Amino acid sequence: MILAGDIPDLIYFQGGDAKIAEQGVLEDLRPWIENSEFLKDALYPHNVDRLANYPYLLYVFPVRNPQPVMRADWFERTGLPAPQTVEDYVTLLSTVAQGDYDGDGQANTLGLTSAETTAELDAIFNQAFGVTATWMPTPEGVINARVSPQERDKLAFCGSLREQGLLDPEYITTKWDVKEDKFYSGRVGMILGSSAEVVDIYGGKMQQVHPGTELVLFDPPQGPAGRGLAAVDVSNESRGFAISALSEHKEEAFAVLDFMASPEGQMMDRMGFAGTQYVIRDGKIEVTDAIATWYARFMVTANWTPPVQWLSPAAQQHLANVSTYYVADNAFVWPPEFAADLDATTNVYREWVYKFVSGEASMDQWDEYVAAWNAAGGDRLTAHAREVLDASN
Amino acid sequence: MTERGTLAARTAPAVGNLPGSLSASRSAARRTGPGRSARARALRDWWPYYAMMAPGLIFFAVFHYLPIWEARLAFQDVRIIPPNIWVGLKHFEVLLGSAVFWQVFANTLIISAMKIAFVFPVPILVALLLNEVRSGPLRKSIQSAIYLPHFLSWVVIAGIFIAALSPSDGVANEVRGFMGLEPRSYMTDHGSIRWVLVFSEIWRSAGWDRLLYLAAILAIDPQLYDAAEMDGATRWQKMRFVTLPGIAPTIATLFILNAGMFLSADLNQVINLSNDAVRSQIDIIDTYVYRIGLQTGEFSLATSAGLFKGILGMILIVAAHTLSKRLTGKGVW
Repeated sequence: MILAGDIPDLIYFQGGDAKIAEQGVLEDLRPWIENSEFLKDALYPHNVDRLANYPYLLYVFPVRNPQPVMRADWFERTGLPAPQTVEDYVTLLSTVAQGDYDGDGQANTLGLTSAETTAELDAIFNQAFGVTATWMPTPEGVINARVSPQERDKLAFCGSLREQGLLDPEYITTKWDVKEDKFYSGRVGMILGSSAEVVDIYGGKMQQVHPGTELVLFDPPQGPAGRGLAAVDVSNESRGFAISALSEHKEEAFAVLDFMASPEGQMMDRMGFAGTQYVIRDGKIEVTDAIATWYARFMVTANWTPPVQWLSPAAQQHLANVSTYYVADNAFVWPPEFAADLDATTNVYREWVYKFVSGEASMDQWDEYVAAWNAAGGDRLTAHAREVLDASN
Repeated sequence: MTERGTLAARTAPAVGNLPGSLSASRSAARRTGPGRSARARALRDWWPYYAMMAPGLIFFAVFHYLPIWEARLAFQDVRIIPPNIWVGLKHFEVLLGSAVFWQVFANTLIISAMKIAFVFPVPILVALLLNEVRSGPLRKSIQSAIYLPHFLSWVVIAGIFIAALSPSDGVANEVRGFMGLEPRSYMTDHGSIRWVLVFSEIWRSAGWDRLLYLAAILAIDPQLYDAAEMDGATRWQKMRFVTLPGIAPTIATLFILNAGMFLSADLNQVINLSNDAVRSQIDIIDTYVYRIGLQTGEFSLATSAGLFKGILGMILIVAAHTLSKRLTGKGVW
């Protein structure tokens, strides 16, 4: 529709916006938000940071940063306190792996799995091992975290988890649905959920398989270099609403966004409709079962609290943690001519991550990997990053 | 009299007896002379056939011929607000200048060659073998069983293969275990993954693709088999000297058409069966363009890759056609 020249007033993008924005077709939303009635107070810190770098997309949602969950009954059976350190995580995962909590007579439960890449593990182990940003400072200038000594330490740790039988050796062929299936069927003790809603989806499905079973969510561990959730890319929103700069109805389009951020809009957006998703009894709001299937949620603003809390304690903890551990990353938007280098280096990185974690490659081959990463375009990326980040500092 | 003339003489009386027939239309056209009225009459007489043909023509016009014109995007920077900017070979330079592209190109050639060598003959073999099965119920059961996978999506097939080849509890490694062999992670092994593509393609398409050969076999004159039997030919000899030559034109045609698709090693299959451990082995032009062209909105780059593939495909078709004409006397035109 857009490429055909028929540009809507209000557009929801899920990728593909950059080429359009660079042609000046999308409106700078910052002045609109600044003069808004509701939106200006509805943003999260990462929204503000992203709008400063890329003012064309607006996606008012809490940060998506995966966090680990486990069956509460299994956790109680371990008799362990909630893990606080990397060592505590290893102890907990080992206890689950050896505990035969699924009752099949074999100690064959894996501690932890991840879907297709180790990206989910990065969310809780990056800060612990010192991977604090995409571009890490060194005396020579920034280097990409993927070729940093901190990354090497983290991957060595992940490899040791796999070696001890605590990390699923088949994570790389584990798609998201299989990941969930392994969790619900007891083949894996712990998985990571990317948002509060996802944690409750896991909880709901677990209840269907094992009625009465709740989930418990753990904080990211303290490691040798720190603690927290992975730094959040604030270079731009990867999805969200945009307004056409050519629109003759910009005010109306923005009014829709502002209404969605208002208390009335949020009530409708997040709670659904009276009599369907919730009922009012004696002046009090009670959610119905239908709330579980309500998923309009175009915006989840930072400043509106629902009148009834229906998120599970684990999901609420997820929300609290993404706020507590929020750290902005220093990643930036790349010019199109680096697309091939970004693709090539990402492929090299992921292939070597699997080699290191699976034991196919020894950590002694780290320099070989770094050379391959640089040869695939890493040198050019690093040179450009130094120009960009030095200029901004 | 020429062969065509003979055929026309044989068919003319029969066709002429049909109401509203082509010969009648042609006669009418001769009476009125060539022109709009003749075409209008032909259209009026034959409109149901034109109507049946229309969806196919529209499909090819919209999805195959119109894109040829739109391929000019490969030489332009696309602008949302027209006009697009002519940039010549810039996108081809970006595409061909990437070191990764040539690795991807090599992967495409290798995987396509493996498929031509190992996948293409299987439906022929299956058709020949099934033709020899005398028991009707058995033949039908086998036919049903082997063409069902054609209706499964690659998402489902990938799930089946990943589960079946799992090193921990996959059936393939269970079999290896019975044979005293160590488990093997076929899905992450550089030496195995291309064979996974080949075998999954065979599993999915062999049953369906052999239908064309089966149709060709059924079209062979039964008298040829009777004559061969009278000459004392064995079943093997009948297959070798009657069936196989009988379906040779079909094989040649399909081979030429497959050659045209040589660089399309199946995006869906590769995306669903790929993983980070083996991407360097099975990353093909289509998956590469999907990532750096379509996902990032670089439509001109994606179009240049499509055009590159199309031109090479055309060259391969012409080459295969010429070769086939020289060797068998038959081609696709």
